[in-house]
Amino acid sequence: MNEHLSRDGFSRRRIDRVAVFGWLIVGLFALSAVFAGFLAPYDYSAQSRFEPSAPATAIHFNGLTPIIYSRRVEDPLRRTYTEDTSSAFPVGFFVRGYSYKLFGIGETNVHLFGIRSTSGIVPRINLLGTDQLGRDRFSRLLYAVRFSLIVTMIGVLIACLVGIAIGGVSGYAGGLVDTFLMGATDAMLALPTLILILGVRAAFPLELPMTRAAMLLLLIFALTGWAEIARLTRGLVLSLRQREFVVAAVALGVSQTRVLFRHILPNILPSLRTRAILLLPTFLLAEVALSYLGVGLQEPEPSLGNMLTAASDLDQLRSQPFSVLSPAIAVLLFTLAVRLIGRSERAQGI
Amino acid sequence: MIKLLLRKFLQGLMMILIVSAVTFALLGVAGGDALSQLRDNPQISEATIERLRSVYGLDQPLPVRYFRWLSDAVTGDLGESMYFRVPVSGLVWARALSTFLLGSAAFAIALAFAVPLSFIGVRYKSTTIAAFVNLLILVTASTPRIVLALFALAISVRLTASALEGSSPVLFWLAALALSAPLISVFLAQLHGELQRTMREDFIKLARAKGLSESTVILRHALRPALNPVLTIAGLSLGSLLGGSVIVESVLGRQGLGTLMVSAVRARDLPLVMGIVLFTSTAVWLGNALGELLQAVNDKRIRDLGF
Repeated sequence: MNEHLSRDGFSRRRIDRVAVFGWLIVGLFALSAVFAGFLAPYDYSAQSRFEPSAPATAIHFNGLTPIIYSRRVEDPLRRTYTEDTSSAFPVGFFVRGYSYKLFGIGETNVHLFGIRSTSGIVPRINLLGTDQLGRDRFSRLLYAVRFSLIVTMIGVLIACLVGIAIGGVSGYAGGLVDTFLMGATDAMLALPTLILILGVRAAFPLELPMTRAAMLLLLIFALTGWAEIARLTRGLVLSLRQREFVVAAVALGVSQTRVLFRHILPNILPSLRTRAILLLPTFLLAEVALSYLGVGLQEPEPSLGNMLTAASDLDQLRSQPFSVLSPAIAVLLFTLAVRLIGRSERAQGI
Repeated sequence: MIKLLLRKFLQGLMMILIVSAVTFALLGVAGGDALSQLRDNPQISEATIERLRSVYGLDQPLPVRYFRWLSDAVTGDLGESMYFRVPVSGLVWARALSTFLLGSAAFAIALAFAVPLSFIGVRYKSTTIAAFVNLLILVTASTPRIVLALFALAISVRLTASALEGSSPVLFWLAALALSAPLISVFLAQLHGELQRTMREDFIKLARAKGLSESTVILRHALRPALNPVLTIAGLSLGSLLGGSVIVESVLGRQGLGTLMVSAVRARDLPLVMGIVLFTSTAVWLGNALGELLQAVNDKRIRDLGF
């Protein structure tokens, strides 16, 4: 008995640490999304004709100051570069560059790091190399995280609202309404989501501007993602309906809407939170898949999905797999972090 | 037993009807079709497009079109693909075969991980193996297929330049492995958990008391009842396999149902989109029914309940 208790306590503490790790990664993602402009040294759509498909810039040290050299194309076909070591450019912090809006309000042009311009031609620092148009992949990755996360989070919110509405009505009304709504929910759950999403996507024009594409993704997520939440909400509402405090509220003549919103909803929110968190990677992956297939967010705006289309350039994939697949690694980190959080929340019985 | 089958059949029919109607309605309401892209072409007059619309029956109201499509679909005629200019059903069958092979391989891989690992985990109650099993469940559950497929592509590019021909067996098994990851996770979690639960049952105590070896107890007495939930999951996982095949096939350049769906969406080839949606929802329903059927075959208790 005693051993059982202590082991339980131990495992709970261990799981918590894992969850903290998960939250840390999710927090880093959130920070890089919020401060994308500050962290990114270059504009995500700024192209460079001199450095297409370049590998990551090598950072050397001159004493303690990090320096880089400018690069020259050696072989334009095989895309190899040589460094010109005659003049060194120090990497500076809080450098002025292109202007962006911090928090979407104040305009500024300070960046965390960059090359301080002293003479005419300044080499660019590309931590993850450049893509085929010579755009800085590191800057694009930061903005991609921002775009993808915004779409994902709003998508989860909308899907939750739809799911709570459908599940709540289904569980509270019961009868024929319940049978019909849950039949639809089962059908949604059984179907291959990605095929369904693509089917809905087929109805809309292929090329869409940024905001319309994002709206469309949100619409698709809401149409296809509500089922899990609806099923969960219905079960919770059904069990809560029998509880004394709800019966008492009904007996006191409280209106149905008030019972639902004041007595039932607050009690199901914690369970829904866990499920909503677990929906994040599902929707992120849907965005990644759609954008990868060229029917989601489109160029020049970066998203984690459309950045990965660079992997079809097999030469670059062979020579710099890490840089090319960095968006995939970001996706992997995010899904793993969310899994860890979800697992510990479930273990705590929330 | 017959009642069970009948109920499953009706449920599936309802599901397919609802899904096809909803997809059809969405496609119709959004108003896009393969012809709307022709409008951008200045060489084609508005009159020609109108004529083509009536040729393809696109000028009819939506419910009329749906019932026309449905009555054709019942006879196995899914119309003609507007992009490939061939009957949809032939196209879907041909591509489905390739996806079926890939899916079966993924299934086999998942079972090849789940069954031996669960057995070893239960047979030798070591914490190291349990920790490894838990880690594998976590990793396979949280590694998305698109990430795995891209890693597989990077690996195969590294290995050889010629590995990229679509028919290469290396690429086939890498694709199957990428497709199987979530399956490994659910199969392993279900089977391992269920086997551990079953080992605490009274009939296991009896089998041990008879003097059977631990391995025999597991293989002959515990495995069969523990397989039941796995069979349900296996039936349900068909949908996830079909969805995942879209990504895996696209990344690794295989010609299957998934890539067919992508090209259908890109060309806004509505008959083909509808055909694939119908095919996959039917396949998912059959998979579910098959899972429950196998469960009934495996477990006499379920058969006798007859629900």
